[in-house]
Amino acid sequence: MLVRFWGTRGSLPVALRADAALGKISRALVAASGRTFADEAEAARFAQDNLDFATWGTYGGATSCVEIEGGDDAFLICDMGSGLREFGIDAFRRCAAGHPRIYHFFMSHLHWDHIMGFPFFGPAFDPGATIVIHAGHPDAEQALRRQQEEISFPVPFDWLRAKFEFITHAEGEPFEVAGVSVTLARQHHSHDSYGFRFEREGRAVVYSTDSEHRVDNMESEAAFEGFFRDADLVVCDTMYSLGDTVSLKQDWGHSSNVVAVDLCQAAGARRLALFHHEPTYTDADIQRMHAETVRYEELVRGDRPPLEVICAYDGLEVSV
Amino acid sequence: MDWQVRNEDGRLIGEPAGRVDETTWEAFSGHLIAAVREAAAIGSSLTVDLSRLDYMSSRGLRALTIAKREAGDQVAITLASPNERMREILAISRYDKLFEIVDEVGSGG
Repeated sequence: MLVRFWGTRGSLPVALRADAALGKISRALVAASGRTFADEAEAARFAQDNLDFATWGTYGGATSCVEIEGGDDAFLICDMGSGLREFGIDAFRRCAAGHPRIYHFFMSHLHWDHIMGFPFFGPAFDPGATIVIHAGHPDAEQALRRQQEEISFPVPFDWLRAKFEFITHAEGEPFEVAGVSVTLARQHHSHDSYGFRFEREGRAVVYSTDSEHRVDNMESEAAFEGFFRDADLVVCDTMYSLGDTVSLKQDWGHSSNVVAVDLCQAAGARRLALFHHEPTYTDADIQRMHAETVRYEELVRGDRPPLEVICAYDGLEVSV
Repeated sequence: MDWQVRNEDGRLIGEPAGRVDETTWEAFSGHLIAAVREAAAIGSSLTVDLSRLDYMSSRGLRALTIAKREAGDQVAITLASPNERMREILAISRYDKLFEIVDEVGSGG
């Protein structure tokens, strides 16, 4: 399987401001002081080899949308955040090259930042497309239709030309989609959220976002350790620090980097992707959080094998 | 994880040793809550002496939060003598902003 991140920001899309872009360019110019480059490709190589990611790149600002490539003749997509617009454009390109126009969506939940990309999802207007929406929530269709109402958007749902199907799934009962086994787990979040575990040919990817692991309910975490068990990649909500989640931001429905590490270590997972980044964080903030998480994993690893900690960004691809 | 509690000049001191992780946090939490209640009964603060603790993961940290909620305004909880590893964990988790941390058991609190 190949996991492709189209949107990794939490709660609200953000864009790089001019002063932030200027800061990156300025740091790069200082680092390159005295050098000349034959062309942009050589300059890009220098940047990637000599600058940190927060300087030469950006984590991006689109909200949750993650593609899992590896289904038979179908696209598999987790959530419809603002990253979905870019996915839709790329899907047109791939369909033009012969990819079947079948889309399976897996909805963690129906909050704004996880559905806001749908009105801008071009394939929804394709009469040859089939769009199947899998959710633990029985009100998924209501959420998408309501978002298209005239008070919010000029194009009503019924004007969309694709063939739609909504399927509500029970947690803990595996089902098969395009050759991939999928299981849901209910998570603590306002109006509930659901994590998804995707398994194929001995490989497992878990998508677990907008999931609060409450301080007064740690007993329930054994279930999540089971859900994450031996996963090759776990995509986890790591929006806040642990200190925040037990104080000011308790009951905001999100988790922390250190709890994600603990769950993945206890589950024997191999790789953790930090995800659903706090929208107020700059690239430097996210990079620092990533470095701290890598260090925390080392500090509490004990006798366990290493857990690789990566930090998701818009455009990242991870082979599983 | 081992736990000892002592009373030094009317001040209650709890001393965990070893590791607090997913296998030991419940015992640690139980000891902490009992110590908070004992401190409240004698009108003492509670110092958690971390000098013999290798490290605690988030479950141990969250057990500290549960203890702090149990303590309310009645019992002040101070963390003392963390090793370098624990200092890093407290900083990464931002628990250094939630608890008073002192270098020695006898200081602060």
